[in-house]
Amino acid sequence: MTAISPATLLELYESMVTMKLWDQTALRLLQEGRVLAGYHSGRGQEAIPAGGVAPLRRDDYLMYAHRGFGYTIAKGMSLAAMFGDLMANTAGATGGLGAGIPHFADPELGILGQGGTLGSCFGIATGAAFSAKYRGTDQVVVCFFGDGTANRGAFHESVNAAAAWKLPVVWICENNGYAVSVPVAESTAGRIVDRAVGYGMPGVRIDGMDVTEVYRATCEAVDRARAGEGPTLIEAMCHRFRGHYEGDPQVYRTEEETERLSALDPITNLAARLVADGIATEERLGELEVGVQDTIDRAVEEASSAPMPGPERIYEGLYV
Amino acid sequence: MSQATATRTLTFSQAIREALAEEMKRDDRVFVWGEDVAVYGGIYGATAGLLEEFGPERVIDTPISETMIVGAAVGAAITGLRPVAELQSSGYFGIAMDELYHKVARWRYMHGGVFTVPLVIRLPEGAKGAGPEHDVSPEALFLSASGAYVVIPSDPADALGLMKSSIRDDNPVLFFEHAGLYAHRGEVPSGDHLVPLGQAAVKREGSDVTVIAWSRMVGESLRAAEQLEAEGIDVEVVDPRGLRPLDLDTILESVAKTGRVVIAHEAPKTGGAGGEVAAIIAEEALEYLESPIIRVASADVPIPQSRYLQQFLIPTAASVTEAVRRLD
Repeated sequence: MTAISPATLLELYESMVTMKLWDQTALRLLQEGRVLAGYHSGRGQEAIPAGGVAPLRRDDYLMYAHRGFGYTIAKGMSLAAMFGDLMANTAGATGGLGAGIPHFADPELGILGQGGTLGSCFGIATGAAFSAKYRGTDQVVVCFFGDGTANRGAFHESVNAAAAWKLPVVWICENNGYAVSVPVAESTAGRIVDRAVGYGMPGVRIDGMDVTEVYRATCEAVDRARAGEGPTLIEAMCHRFRGHYEGDPQVYRTEEETERLSALDPITNLAARLVADGIATEERLGELEVGVQDTIDRAVEEASSAPMPGPERIYEGLYV
Repeated sequence: MSQATATRTLTFSQAIREALAEEMKRDDRVFVWGEDVAVYGGIYGATAGLLEEFGPERVIDTPISETMIVGAAVGAAITGLRPVAELQSSGYFGIAMDELYHKVARWRYMHGGVFTVPLVIRLPEGAKGAGPEHDVSPEALFLSASGAYVVIPSDPADALGLMKSSIRDDNPVLFFEHAGLYAHRGEVPSGDHLVPLGQAAVKREGSDVTVIAWSRMVGESLRAAEQLEAEGIDVEVVDPRGLRPLDLDTILESVAKTGRVVIAHEAPKTGGAGGEVAAIIAEEALEYLESPIIRVASADVPIPQSRYLQQFLIPTAASVTEAVRRLD
């Protein structure tokens, strides 16, 4: 197994810290009534977007999931634009159309958007990968989805076609154990990773709470896709620390279960490893966090100063 | 005869094929995919020979996976290609409805207009004796799918010109082709024949009655008009050639001229697009109407598979003449 350089480890750490602090800030804005729609916290699952997006080039394609904003943070999307979309104002990447749950895109960064009818991601990812192959580029698509979304029929049709045509896609399933409230064991036959066998592609189940595992598995899959060897399915086992959405009473799991989760925090665990391995001091990690919070605060400030859209916004951008 | 006005005779199916070939030659971002479109040439022959001409990279047989066919076409369109995807029957709309309704029509809008979605979904429709699931004409379902154009040719010349325009347009197009028309022959202009989207055609001028018809019902209405001419009734036949963009100017101009309206389509009356067109005319041009609007459509039942029974259900020229005679 190839070693991950200290510089990369620190980048992955900073990426996860940014996601965590972004999330905390979003929750604060939500409490203050400044977020106009629901929000699905990504707290606890940062290792997957951090380790799953870091191996991508700027021109690689990203189909992100609805949980948190980590994927697009890692792909380099403007923080202020994302806060604008949270607050539904004109600073948003959608110019005030979106709110709360992200539905924004940035073609320059290969960010292709997110569908609210979960499972949309599969067909679009297959199509983008077909497009890369058709155009003779070596671009790769990474598509994130949850264990619940894996049970949509679009999964079969799109994953089958991508495998049959050896398209450059990396399918990353975040298995956090619950489809909203329903446990995986009650809704899903077999292991999701084993579906890879049925489609004749490599599949690997990893610890999705360990960013180094996610990073390594994704690097391997991206290399394979870029080399024309087709798709890979990664099942990243993980835990979401909060409810499916803010306000979720979580009647489907016990308090003991949620209390145990903090010991699994991918960020504190990586921090301990960085310190133990002498890659960073606690003091340096503390400074890093302060710097990230400062960047986030400035992004919130920038986004907050933008006006709300006027009614004419409703009619913009429908037709060319 | 000059080159520009020269014509050739093509079937509706050949016209679609010509349009695809011409646009594929013109723009290498255009590709075709669907079930049996490559080696087999499409079950209606509308993609015949394209595989030989353009190769397997651009003419692609897909799995029987309509959700993927449409969803992946969106993915290809937002990343620089111009897909022409065929659903073998428009009756499969339900399998791909999330993709058609939410992805094709809305992906651009919901992401703030940062993409274009330049694709064409080909949707063979209409009664052909294939049973209630296949013989549908579901265009009205997409009236509320703002963001997607709905284009419906009624003859080979329009099939060619509208398909070429649809492929070149940066908006997504749902392109309905009546299966009963594929074998119909017609004169098609030679050269780069383009028909602009959203422009109705007055297929026959008349002064007494406006028949607004699309798809197969245009030909039926023209036959009705000939018969009614013998009875001294001068019928104008307006073909909107699609439902979005809808050419209201041409429709309302004709209504203002004749004061009498029949709307003819093959889809069942309830929930058919005739209701929408009638409502628009009532809102915009009620003062011109000398008689209530009459809709000619299929009965509100599933289309039976038996062609024998279909003759009692599917509207024809006789249905149009009967409706026109009922007008005040």
